[in-house]
Amino acid sequence: MEIRLDRAAFMAELTPMQGIVERKSTIPVLSHILLRCVGDRLQLSATDLDVSLTSSVTGEVTREGGIAVQARKFSEIIRALVGDEVLLALEDEKTLRIAAGRSRFKIRGLLPEDFPSLPQVKGDEPLEIPFEGLQRMISKVIFAVSTEESRFQLSGALLHIKEGKIEMVATDGRRLALVENPVDGLPDASEGVLVPRKALQELQRFEGDGAIQFRRGEHHLSFRLGQRELIGRILDGTFPDYDRVIARDNDKRVSLDRKLLIDAIQRVALLTGDRARAIRLRFAPDEVVLSAANPDLGEAVEKLACEYDGPEIEIGMNPDYLVQFLVAAETAKVRLELKDENTQCVGFPIDGADERYLCVVMPMRI
Amino acid sequence: MARIHLLPDDLISQIAAGEVVERPASVVKELLENALDAGAGQIRVDLTGGGKRSIRVADDGLGMDRDDALLAFDRHATSKIGTFEELERVATLGFRGEALASIAAVARVELLTADEPGEGHRVRVEGGRIRRAEPAARDRGTTVEVASLFFNVPARRKFLKTARTELRRSVEVVQGYALARPDIAFTLSHEGRALLEAPAAGEGGAGMAERVRQIFGASLVDRLESFGVEDGVGRRVAGLVGDPSTARPRRLFVFVNGRLLRDRAILATYYRAVRDEWRNEEFPSLFLFLDLPPEEIDVNVHPQKAEVRFRSPAILNEVSEALRAGLARSLGEVAAPLSEPWRRPSAPAAWEAGDGGWRRPPEGGSFGGTSVAEGLPGGRLAEIHLHPGRPATVPLSGRDGQVRPFRILGQYKGTLVLLEGPDGLYLIDQHVAHERILYERFRRDLERERPASQRLLEPQLLELARDEALRLGELAGALEERGFSLTRLSGDSLGLTAVPAALGTDRARDLLLELARDDDEAAGSGVEGLDRRLLEALSASLACRSAVKMHDVLSIGEMEHLVSELFRAEQPYACPHGRPVVLTMEDAELERRFGRR
Repeated sequence: MEIRLDRAAFMAELTPMQGIVERKSTIPVLSHILLRCVGDRLQLSATDLDVSLTSSVTGEVTREGGIAVQARKFSEIIRALVGDEVLLALEDEKTLRIAAGRSRFKIRGLLPEDFPSLPQVKGDEPLEIPFEGLQRMISKVIFAVSTEESRFQLSGALLHIKEGKIEMVATDGRRLALVENPVDGLPDASEGVLVPRKALQELQRFEGDGAIQFRRGEHHLSFRLGQRELIGRILDGTFPDYDRVIARDNDKRVSLDRKLLIDAIQRVALLTGDRARAIRLRFAPDEVVLSAANPDLGEAVEKLACEYDGPEIEIGMNPDYLVQFLVAAETAKVRLELKDENTQCVGFPIDGADERYLCVVMPMRI
Repeated sequence: MARIHLLPDDLISQIAAGEVVERPASVVKELLENALDAGAGQIRVDLTGGGKRSIRVADDGLGMDRDDALLAFDRHATSKIGTFEELERVATLGFRGEALASIAAVARVELLTADEPGEGHRVRVEGGRIRRAEPAARDRGTTVEVASLFFNVPARRKFLKTARTELRRSVEVVQGYALARPDIAFTLSHEGRALLEAPAAGEGGAGMAERVRQIFGASLVDRLESFGVEDGVGRRVAGLVGDPSTARPRRLFVFVNGRLLRDRAILATYYRAVRDEWRNEEFPSLFLFLDLPPEEIDVNVHPQKAEVRFRSPAILNEVSEALRAGLARSLGEVAAPLSEPWRRPSAPAAWEAGDGGWRRPPEGGSFGGTSVAEGLPGGRLAEIHLHPGRPATVPLSGRDGQVRPFRILGQYKGTLVLLEGPDGLYLIDQHVAHERILYERFRRDLERERPASQRLLEPQLLELARDEALRLGELAGALEERGFSLTRLSGDSLGLTAVPAALGTDRARDLLLELARDDDEAAGSGVEGLDRRLLEALSASLACRSAVKMHDVLSIGEMEHLVSELFRAEQPYACPHGRPVVLTMEDAELERRFGRR
């Protein structure tokens, strides 16, 4: 292979590859990216076997061919080079020559055949999803995705395309976030699909506007934006029946200022121990009292105005779960719906955008 | 009308029997122990119906005369101890005097025994009542036949498993005792089919290996490596350990003074040794024999004697070293010679804190019989003062009754705290020491306050067998105190609706499954035992996270604090996982090594 490239354009495609590449993989080739000259383009691919990213950049190709190079080192070199142009050429089948300005590098690589072949997601016409909307949805649920590795069916978010709208849900069994956005022209897909966390994270890093082309294959999902394509393995397993889990008869409704509540929670939470983070919220008419106590540290109490006219109720919750919801909610005010100390708290934004958003937080007994 | 009334005697016996007799295997165990205690040279066990129909154990031991034969069925009749003092030094296997009476309360038992050849007696007991006693002929020895176990306690009979499962458990019991006593001939048959034939194999290491061969075959013996030492005066820490290919569940045998145990402390020591030496989570076959003077161990901690308490925890270090040497050898390595001269610390256990220092207790000298709990009463050692930077005020080998301050010498490679003690050099592993301190603090906290409990969105299903569900059900209260909530879903499946907030959901569920599936023997210690283990699991997982790490450089002040906290700990010598915290090199040893003695 031999190709002359615009360095800045190349760098723009090279950087997102780093998120996919495994830093400490036991399979050496997975710390590599594959470079391949085809037609008038250089194709780039990276994979951790679950999530793959491919992209391409145009250049002057004089010879086709390819090589897999160590991702981090290669990217450091390209970034450090001086000059607008960079030349990549195979010295021999396992050595890549890099030239830019007055710098010359020769780096060892692996045969392209040793690089895993990436799954192809074929199928029907892709669905068009507004990219910005998708990113917004991801940011509203990704914090609820489980980090417990053994709970694989919860280690992703459920993406459910319905007629004229998209729904996304994530839960780790202790809280649950659900967002639903209207999207014109979507057909009804009978069932949702579990998107792994890493794919969600990479989608958040994508840049650009317009629409993502979404395809669903038998085992993989494809998200294509411009020349980039992210392919993720569909997570197996049964996602909880979330519709059934969300409480509908929480009769105590409290409205609060979102920013003030975030600040108050974070202050009070300073006095939660390292063993388990828990704060108490006592709701009385027009006032909520937040408190935390820890035998080793001490106590913290803070009062905050709210709109509430029901009976007094106290509930314990993990402050992090609440804050993550509140940050994602974005609106000036939020509503918390409660029933009793043992029942879930359901949070909603008030007067938000044209979307449905809610977050369930399970209570704690302190 | 009176609501409270006294229980009839036979019901009391049946309830009490439950402590000892749970299933055929526990009958086999009690009868084998009696046979061994009677000095048998040959023991024969015959079972039918997996032991549910009948169990017969015949020995050629001492036998009994008529009076003894009748008395044998009395509760707490025993030939083995008579006074409390003797209880302290039990060398025989059975001692509570409840075995035969307990068995007879829930089965049809026939005892045929003779203390002189030909002059035997036959006693039949049914449901705790003597039905018949008559002379009968027999060679010297005793035969006990136990038929229709739990014929009068249907509730218990229901909990017996299939004949095959019950048989397997009995086979394990017989195997255990056969391994413990290679010098005695064992045979085991089921419905006429021989399952085990092990002629007397002699004593010592050779006998041990031969017995393993008789039971598990030559292919296993070839993959075992022997380790450990006998000091010739009845002390032995020795055994056989396999190479990695011998890893099997249920192939870990620990014998303390001839008694097969599932002692958690020893097993933890073993697991730790394997992890450290091999970086492995598969545990090779182990046959470990500890023979200690009876006064060094307390067997009265567990109704089924499945655990013992060591008066001196230093024994665990000794076990750990022997195991590590064996493990290294079975990987084809030679044990590092350095480990040999290091003695386990035992002295501080026997000291009392005086005003600002340490004194030996008046009885002085030997520390073997003093338990740590006695030597380090909580709080009293708060007085200990350390004198960093000051020159030692006493000679390295001091005399009794003298104040002996400790002095911190410094930190070694950011991992060990070096301490000058009155009788030698102390090395303290800072990470493990901190872990021990935190662990005990967490345990106290957990006893004091209910830990925060996180409710779950949906109940986590726990699929359990009947007995497992029952065991967890019994513990519901204790679990609730620890932050768990359970709900019955259907049949024997329970749902987990809340977990301790400090544990991950999966970790919490696994912990419950472990508790539910714990071996019968271990579960014998009841609610309290399970609760204790739960506490330990919680505390241990929490303590490990926040302990100071290796390679944290500590100031003198930090070291001083660490050491004084450690000496205040209830159990300063081993971390929650069983690793040693302190090593000592005694002055005598140092002097010997420098050629001064």
